[in-house]
Amino acid sequence: MSLWDLREKAAICGVGHSPYGRRLNRSAIDLAGEAIRQAAADAGLRRDDLDGLIVSFGTPIGADADTLAYVLGLKLRCYLQTWAHGRFTASCIQWAAMAVNAGLARYVACMAAVSFSGLRKPMMGGAGDTEGAREGGGGHGEDPVFGMTSPGAGAALVARKYFARYGATSRQLAAVAVAFRKHAALNPAAIMREPISVEDHQNSRFVCEPLHLLDYCLINDGAACVIVTTAERARDLRKPPVYISGMQGLPAGREEFIWTYPGFGISQQAEYDYEPGLQPVYQMAGVTPAEIDALFTYDAFSILVWTALERFGFCRPGEAAAFTQEGRIELGGALPMNTNGGLLSEAHIMGWNHQVEIVRQLRGECGARQIANAQIIQWANAYGDSLIYRRG
Amino acid sequence: MTTYTKPLPAISSLNRPYWEALKRHELKLQRCTECGKVWYPPAPFCPACWSDAVTWQRLSGRGRVNSWVVFHQAYFPSFQDDLPYNVAEVELEEGPRLLTNLVGVDLAEIRIGMPVEVVFEDVTPEITLAKFRPVEQHSR
Repeated sequence: MSLWDLREKAAICGVGHSPYGRRLNRSAIDLAGEAIRQAAADAGLRRDDLDGLIVSFGTPIGADADTLAYVLGLKLRCYLQTWAHGRFTASCIQWAAMAVNAGLARYVACMAAVSFSGLRKPMMGGAGDTEGAREGGGGHGEDPVFGMTSPGAGAALVARKYFARYGATSRQLAAVAVAFRKHAALNPAAIMREPISVEDHQNSRFVCEPLHLLDYCLINDGAACVIVTTAERARDLRKPPVYISGMQGLPAGREEFIWTYPGFGISQQAEYDYEPGLQPVYQMAGVTPAEIDALFTYDAFSILVWTALERFGFCRPGEAAAFTQEGRIELGGALPMNTNGGLLSEAHIMGWNHQVEIVRQLRGECGARQIANAQIIQWANAYGDSLIYRRG
Repeated sequence: MTTYTKPLPAISSLNRPYWEALKRHELKLQRCTECGKVWYPPAPFCPACWSDAVTWQRLSGRGRVNSWVVFHQAYFPSFQDDLPYNVAEVELEEGPRLLTNLVGVDLAEIRIGMPVEVVFEDVTPEITLAKFRPVEQHSR
């Protein structure tokens, strides 16, 4: 039992984002400023209300928390940043939820901002990328000595093994990319809005085989921000609160590999038949996967949608390939996913754009892509962390 | 001898015995003499039982392909001429998995589960890489 029951004790009270684009010619701090100010305005807060800041995907690639506080004139008493990996979204919101309930801060802006096009040298997989130089190999399992570079390579290892183990195909994976592009077509903020077909996916070039270009997310410029406060304070603000009902931390260790669940048998994981059970996030929120109205996940690569669905028990291992066909993860399907278009088609803001979309869905602000009567939406990832949000 | 321009490993206090063994054309990893576990990457003590009873053991050099990918894009210019090239994850008989390149095999012939054995590639006077080749083609 948890000593400190945080179920629905924290809420998102404001969201904001900059424009998203491939080459905006704006710096990360510039974009971050726009996202933070928009989120504060959305909540009806003034600059000096913001006393906490958590920046994910910080230096050396994204905007860093120190500079942001200094340039924007923030007066912070609680701040931190995570390093330049995308998977800390839920962790940042967890820490913010704890901080506001512990009285360490009143309003914590949680965000990421990046200007990939403005970086001097290529950062994803090339000589400017320090990821593969991490002692012992780092979280993606990269090893530049053998030409094993870029985050997508580890995802390709998972995809190859998944295809072989379960008889799934790249053609089935195309359904993920096609579904999220359909969603992006309904989202004016999305970068990639031209419809794509399964054939387009199959005909797109291989980057790291068996993954095609259309299995890869965007590399872009942009910033997105959500503001976390206590549930009590959120009820008095401009917009209806979106409660944080359940939280599940980011796991780490030898049985974890960033792009799949334990037991899959990649990197140093043991190989066995994975059984998710009822994951802690559901126990905290008091719901089951069957009650989730929509699922959002970190779709840096299409295969992560399959491993996330299986990790959290929406599908048995090997069944996500079939589950994601026939519009089941599209708007109007049994389990709509990434209605913003995801990292694949809206933008790669390290999952912060997904948090913005979840909040807007639960407030009923999504227009043409609104999920009818959305009450409970989950953020859940292949690498094991999760949040469950409930409409206030 | 042409200059080797691909990325080289960072030698550390933990992995130095691994690279020194490779230079002698021996594949060695740490083994715990208390619990018997063999592991990668090198650690300051046994990651299974936290015992300090760690030795460097010579391995059989045999394993099987656990998964593999084919790069169609070069992230470092020094790999450009190799495209398309494979990277495999080999599961050693003793348990740990290593990233490597498979040599002496066409891309179309690579399969998960394929038995492979280590070959030593001296890439610089200081560094030797453990690569792997199919067992059938070159054994005996």
